[in-house]
Amino acid sequence: MDTPALFVVLALIAYGAAYLWYSRWYDRAVWAPDAGRTTPAHMLMDGVEYFPVSKYVLWGYQFKSVAALGPILGPFIAIQYGWLPALAWIIIGNFFIGWLQDYSSIMVSLRNEGRSFGPITYDFMGARGRTTLLWFIILYLLIISATFIFFIATFFNIFPGVFWATMGVLITGVIAGRLLYRLRWNVGLVTLLALIGVALSIWISTDVGIFHVVANFMGGNTILFWAIVTAVILYLGSVLPLPTFIQPINYVAFFPAFAAIVVILVSSLITPFTGIHLQQSAFKTFYPGLNPGPLWPILFVAIACGAISGWHSLVSSSSTSKQVDIETDARPVGAGAMLTEGLLALASLAAYMVLSSKATGLSSVGAWVNGAGVLANPWLGFLGKAILATFFGLVLVVYALTVQALVTRFWRLVSAELAGDGQFAVLGNKHVATIVGLVIPVAFAINGSWWNLWLYFGASNQLLAGLALMIVSIHLAKVRKDTRPSIIPATFMIVTTLAALVWEIIVFVNAVATNKPLTQVGTTFAQPGWHNVALAFNGIFVVFGLLLLYFGLRMTWSSYGAYFRMMRGERPQAAQPRPSTAAGGAGRK
Amino acid sequence: MPDEERKKLGFGGMLKGVMYGMASHGNVTAALRTRMYMEHLFMFITLGDMLGIPVLPPYYSLRLLPYAVPNVKSWKQRVFRERDFTDALY
Repeated sequence: MDTPALFVVLALIAYGAAYLWYSRWYDRAVWAPDAGRTTPAHMLMDGVEYFPVSKYVLWGYQFKSVAALGPILGPFIAIQYGWLPALAWIIIGNFFIGWLQDYSSIMVSLRNEGRSFGPITYDFMGARGRTTLLWFIILYLLIISATFIFFIATFFNIFPGVFWATMGVLITGVIAGRLLYRLRWNVGLVTLLALIGVALSIWISTDVGIFHVVANFMGGNTILFWAIVTAVILYLGSVLPLPTFIQPINYVAFFPAFAAIVVILVSSLITPFTGIHLQQSAFKTFYPGLNPGPLWPILFVAIACGAISGWHSLVSSSSTSKQVDIETDARPVGAGAMLTEGLLALASLAAYMVLSSKATGLSSVGAWVNGAGVLANPWLGFLGKAILATFFGLVLVVYALTVQALVTRFWRLVSAELAGDGQFAVLGNKHVATIVGLVIPVAFAINGSWWNLWLYFGASNQLLAGLALMIVSIHLAKVRKDTRPSIIPATFMIVTTLAALVWEIIVFVNAVATNKPLTQVGTTFAQPGWHNVALAFNGIFVVFGLLLLYFGLRMTWSSYGAYFRMMRGERPQAAQPRPSTAAGGAGRK
Repeated sequence: MPDEERKKLGFGGMLKGVMYGMASHGNVTAALRTRMYMEHLFMFITLGDMLGIPVLPPYYSLRLLPYAVPNVKSWKQRVFRERDFTDALY
């Protein structure tokens, strides 16, 4: 009874019910997919973006694209309230909202010629809605980047050998890419060599403690040092051609990342036999203090991806929907991948449940690595604790690094879209855009307290999910279908996330007003001589939060307006082309 | 995928599909996109002269034309397709 296995099994049953019962009912009652209807993959087939793919391939692709640090690190903040509220939200949130959002995002795109959320937003809410979405996504990308760069830098700093293991994976990836694309070696052979390279990287790195050297050399600036190292890696990922750097590295990094999921899930399920027990209270408190804040709304944004995530809707509508073979494949792909990600979140929660409350304090950023080590040690202990710690540390870094490399690249493309050909065209240059997209997050990363930045990220991510559900509801209202299963969760998510944003703004305002800036211990600006700079950055975080809130509210207003217009049977607010200007106009792009 | 093919796919096939999807599908799609942009460049260089943008002297354009013509239809479809910043995500 006091092992994590029971709860993972309970979640398996709940997710099974969600998939076999609720999703089937929703599918039949609302979307009514038709296997005979031509999908965009066939209708617009170009062999590049639009082409039909087996549902198994697409499931694997969708799961890999959505599973990142969110479900692994999110439960860490949530467990400050006890494990029961976190467990309940991961199960109930995913049951009623999470899979529904992912699946419906695919379906709404399928029914709109495979278009992504940008053009669909334009159709429903006009040019203003699309521009608001663009700005909201810009801020969202900045905050994702800040949190992920902070984590990578911290993991390099606190786990011996993780930096060299990561370097090993990067070098192995680049070599594998050369062998595959230039020398055209056999894929199986290259994969085998890559696996050996990754294993060697982990094995050798456990004995190489560069972080001690860096710590002695850099003093209180170690996080800054590692953040700059991370930024250099990301810069290369953004400006080099995909087949040279990101693609082969993602391929090589997939194997340890996938192995870790299997290890941690199996380790959680066999806890009754390995004798690992829960060390945390089921419920601790509703209000642990101003920071991190009350259970509602903070818990619901802290678990940033395990229960629901706006990032998934972007993935679902931008690439997956263009490759769905038949409409009935959308449910196993969208709902199936999200429910599986919920299991990953639960297994990660199990890794925190087996640690003491002290070991999961808010400053223990690497607690997951320790918890995963505790879970896996009884059956993988023969590998040695150092290797297990390096392996799990490496997994965290590759999850963050592979997603962050894509985010930095995406930032560059969005910057080019925003800068256009006007007087700020230089900001669209790939080097300038990448540097801007890295300098700001690095500055944020070494200034803010990590959980406050995480909560900004979680709130904007979950708000995006709420807005995605609004787009789904608008479409369903347009075609006269039942909108209740989507509009109720959308409203809940929007209210909760806006409340969380307001709370975090209050936390930063309080820090400025009381002259006690929120900083992360061990970072440059946490040192006494940097007090005023840290305070100034807290002020910037207030402005940043207000901007997120402003664009979130604007998007909410536009989406509810469009929803009620559709419910009244009015025509969608298809954007009226505005007169062109000398700067390029604001017409449809 | 036709129904018969779907039915033939055993557990091994499913597993292979899932593993391929997780490990490689994103990379394959990205490689296809890179090729698409290279093709756009090739078509632009070849046909630029005929569109009023003299990138390549007509002699070479005409020599390359037979290689470009089979791709004109799919090129047009891709170039005219609405693109948005949210399409660039993956």
